[in-house]
Amino acid sequence: MADIAHADGHHDVHESTGIDNRKLGMWVFLSSEFMFFGALISNYMLFKGRDYSAFVPAGQSVILPRELYDIPFTSVSSFVLLMSSLTMVLAHDALVSGDQNRTRIWLAATGLLGSVFIGGQVFEFTEFVQQGMTLSTNPAASAFFVLTGFHGAHVFLGILMLLSLYGISRRQGGLTESQGLNVELVGLYWHFVDIIWIVIFTIVYLIP
Amino acid sequence: MAEEHALAHPTPRQYVQIAVLLAILTAIEVALYYLEQGVEAFTTSIAAPLLILLAVMKFVIVVGWFMHLRYEKSLVSKFFTTGFVAAMVLYVAVLFALGAVVLL
Repeated sequence: MADIAHADGHHDVHESTGIDNRKLGMWVFLSSEFMFFGALISNYMLFKGRDYSAFVPAGQSVILPRELYDIPFTSVSSFVLLMSSLTMVLAHDALVSGDQNRTRIWLAATGLLGSVFIGGQVFEFTEFVQQGMTLSTNPAASAFFVLTGFHGAHVFLGILMLLSLYGISRRQGGLTESQGLNVELVGLYWHFVDIIWIVIFTIVYLIP
Repeated sequence: MAEEHALAHPTPRQYVQIAVLLAILTAIEVALYYLEQGVEAFTTSIAAPLLILLAVMKFVIVVGWFMHLRYEKSLVSKFFTTGFVAAMVLYVAVLFALGAVVLL
């Protein structure tokens, strides 16, 4: 499979831009995703510090997301997602080197780490619901669940794409040049999901 | 355009070193959070800019090295940066207008 890609990680392209259209399309898509997540993060920032005493019966206290955060747990989740970016880039590096076995191992490792992150998010949501904070508790809680839920959905989609690449590679005994580019595209998507979490972790969890 | 591809991609060892740096930056972020919670003199107005700075550093490292943006043609950077800057300008303006962000 030495024809997968050149040593510098780039493929022969014939578009006028000099960049494969699929790759350029992925970068443009990711760029547009800033608008999407920007809206959700702004929504959370708008609602997180408001007074919601009118939302609860007299005598009961308001439950806000930040009162329930488990920072050590979320820090570990963040670390896991960061390390999945490492395994993803190692998968791409292995593919460029023509090592199909190592590519599959790193793709599987990335999917596994992503699954651990999603598992952590499911656990966190379950804990919050058990402590009385649901999607409809107040606008701050709603904004929190929508933001982190959509991020989780992106991670889940990434895992599906990783599993697809892994399955194709196993069935065919390796990835063709065109499928090799897909590893790069899925990698871009995966790293993007990681950088969005870097922003969420800081703005939502760490800054009061 | 050849000069835009002159930089060699990192080696696996260098990728691991970058990941270690990211882990250290995350550990510093968490330490800052606990400092802000536990030390009275270490107020939010000190912690928040530092936390944002660390997040920006992690963001730039992942985009530049893991997503290989620094090795790509300038057109890719322009597309990606335009989306990011446009979103930042729009939402920061909205948050200021609605009073959700105040100058520290």
